Amino acid sequence: MTGAAIRADRLTKRYGETLAVDGIDLAIEPGQFFGLLGPNGAGKTSTIHMLSTLIRPTSGEAWVMGNSVRTHKLAVRRSIGVVFQEAALDRTLSVAENLRFAGALNDLPRAEIRRRSAELLELFGLTHRRDHTAAALSGGMRRALDIARGVIHQPQILFLDEPTIGLDLPNRRAIWRHIARLRAELGITVLLTTHYLEEAADCDEVAFLSAGRIVRQGNPRALTETLGAYIVEVETHRPQELAEQLAPRLGAALIEGERLQFCCDREPADLAALQAELAVTAQAVRWRRPNLNDVFLWVNHSGTSQKRAA
Amino acid sequence: MMLRPVVAVLEREVLKLLRQRGRLLSAMVRPLLWLLVIGAGLGAVKAAHGEPAYQTFLVPGVLGMTLLFGGMLAALSTVYDKESGVMRMLVIAPIEHYWIVLAKALGATCAALLQALLLLVILGLLGYLSAQVSLLLLVAGLLGTALACSSLGMLVAAFSRSLDNYATMMNLVIFPVFFLSGSLYPVQQLPDVLRLVAALNPYTYGVDLLKHAAIAGPAVSQGADFTVVLDLAVLIGFSVIALGIAAARFSRDTANEPLVHRLANNL
Repeated sequence: MTGAAIRADRLTKRYGETLAVDGIDLAIEPGQFFGLLGPNGAGKTSTIHMLSTLIRPTSGEAWVMGNSVRTHKLAVRRSIGVVFQEAALDRTLSVAENLRFAGALNDLPRAEIRRRSAELLELFGLTHRRDHTAAALSGGMRRALDIARGVIHQPQILFLDEPTIGLDLPNRRAIWRHIARLRAELGITVLLTTHYLEEAADCDEVAFLSAGRIVRQGNPRALTETLGAYIVEVETHRPQELAEQLAPRLGAALIEGERLQFCCDREPADLAALQAELAVTAQAVRWRRPNLNDVFLWVNHSGTSQKRAA
Repeated sequence: MMLRPVVAVLEREVLKLLRQRGRLLSAMVRPLLWLLVIGAGLGAVKAAHGEPAYQTFLVPGVLGMTLLFGGMLAALSTVYDKESGVMRMLVIAPIEHYWIVLAKALGATCAALLQALLLLVILGLLGYLSAQVSLLLLVAGLLGTALACSSLGMLVAAFSRSLDNYATMMNLVIFPVFFLSGSLYPVQQLPDVLRLVAALNPYTYGVDLLKHAAIAGPAVSQGADFTVVLDLAVLIGFSVIALGIAAARFSRDTANEPLVHRLANNL
């Protein structure tokens, strides 16, 4: 196969009537930080589970470090680390024992496990907790331990399925610092799924999944730039009317309840003028730089308008 | 290559057993209650009819009981591993999934043997062990019974999405296996239907082998219903078949889908 760390070719997973993943193609280069984004149920987790050989694709094929996920499962599993949405830890064992168990399952010698455990616990600030049971850790520390568990065998690729789900903001930040350090120190390829889109802004590349298909893919900065310089938000009691009124100047609006959003490349001075003009009819007029959330909203928006046209 | 993962699973099983003092204590109290209370009570009834000591007859039965409960409960803990995240560690490891079944079965066998050895020490202190015990048959009986009970546990676990709790397992699986065996009474003297069921119960042959070992004295070996060769053949044959089915069930392509679905649905 090619030199890609992960490659998928028309990868498909069907559960009975439900098409969870609908023929996606992927090519992720070694060392890349790749984000698979989308709402719950978009097919992110099914994709990760197919790529990590835990479920068999209904059709299509994928290769991880050149090994087929259908025919070379063990070779694939040797080259990857997986951090699931729910911790893969034994809560009754201590922090050190969990890492020892995971290391032994990956056929590492004791001395090697001791050395890597010490390094990882240091890296994730867990050294002083090494003899605590996993159950006694806070949610953030348990997730950090789970990531350490996922990389104890120094995999070339790390799958992170919603690594910060259920964590508060300080812990989410801590987890991202850990992942950044891992990438810096090991040069590991990371495939991330998340629905906190702001967390994917540092990815080298992101793909938006919707109903099992990739609907948009690219560099996060490039994708946000395609929306224009600003997102203008208008709050009004008459969204339809105002959307039509502003369409010639600002283009099509994305209407969410009583809030209109426009993408535009206008200068701030123009927007200030618009703000003054709408002072009476609108409750509020704001503008800001677009982000990945906007990319996602506009992708879905164009999707629905296409459907309407068809 | 497979040695380290298998040893790790065994080590975890034994470590857990040694840490759960309550589990170890109850594993000792249960057989001793049968032996010292029920054995003495029923023994008194039988003694009134001039029968030989019932308590001596019960010794292999309660030893088997420890292996049955110890092996099956440890094997059935696999069902809980699915919930607790340990199964996620196991399925993502670079080992064929049938190794998980074999390693868990061996771990359960070790846990059962550990409990039986502890009970043997207690039985020795209480004066229930005979100097005429056949060590070879005792070791064969302990190993064979522990392996068969653990394999039965893995077979049940492989076909259980979720067993509600330990009480369900006890009442639906472990107690029937225990009562429908030769643990408490000689199989040959049972009514036809019960005798047939007991003969189909692999655990019966484990207890029978322990009876052959004459743990509590030569009189007991006469309580055995089958030959040593048949006992061993059934125990080994059953273990191989049960583990084969459990491993096949566990390794099939869709085996992890409930696990995966549960993860996905929790969002």
